[in-house]
Amino acid sequence: MVPQETPRLDAVFHALADPTRRAMLRSLSDGERNVGELAAPHAMSFAAAAKHVRVLEDAGLLKRRAEGRARICALQARPLAEAERWLAFYQRFWTEQLDALEAVLKETQETP
Amino acid sequence: MSAQPDTPANFIEVSRRFDATCEAVFDAWTDPAVAARWLFTSPTSETHATELDVRVGGAWTISDRREGVDYVATGQYLEVDRPRRLVFTFGMPQFSPLFGRVVVTCEPDGAGCLMTLRQEELPPEHHEGTIEGWRLMFEGLAVALGG
Repeated sequence: MVPQETPRLDAVFHALADPTRRAMLRSLSDGERNVGELAAPHAMSFAAAAKHVRVLEDAGLLKRRAEGRARICALQARPLAEAERWLAFYQRFWTEQLDALEAVLKETQETP
Repeated sequence: MSAQPDTPANFIEVSRRFDATCEAVFDAWTDPAVAARWLFTSPTSETHATELDVRVGGAWTISDRREGVDYVATGQYLEVDRPRRLVFTFGMPQFSPLFGRVVVTCEPDGAGCLMTLRQEELPPEHHEGTIEGWRLMFEGLAVALGG
């Protein structure tokens, strides 16, 4: 009934709250990238980029694998779908609640 | 709907204009007799119990039975400022250990009331983005959601 509210959802929203990480996810949606490629569009050091990558990985949004000495990152989209479902569920839930509130307020006024 | 610097960004925000005073709208949340008719219940619910201790630090519990299952929503009031602002935590312990924070604000709008509800989940220090930003991002990644 209610979508799973797990600590991972916390981690996903935390990951998404940063514009650099959102940009990295957009880039990854076009294909795999190594950490250097993820860092390149932003004026940031490799170490800073690696920190962002770790946050994304902790949220389950990114998976890394080694290819020789390179670390290749790939998008994992499932947690995004979960976060989107959470948002959509509560949006719909409160809209329906407010529909019910509106009906009650109307009834209250019609029977003084 | 822009996020102010010191307030957490919102996850969900819905606004609705009601043909009623702010007092009537506020009381619909806090008067158990009125709240029982719409809050955390449904037209097909079998039984329903509404306990509201409406004061800062007071607890609230609403229990609603549907198809033989009791759904319990509970929380605590953080701010009670009739008729303008009501803030409470909200959780459903059966489904999740996490509690969110709901902020209800009522603004006069002509003879009626513009009510806004915000539901926030994360503590402020975890949260910098805006809901619009996420939505844009979700749309942009719609292709990737096939995974």
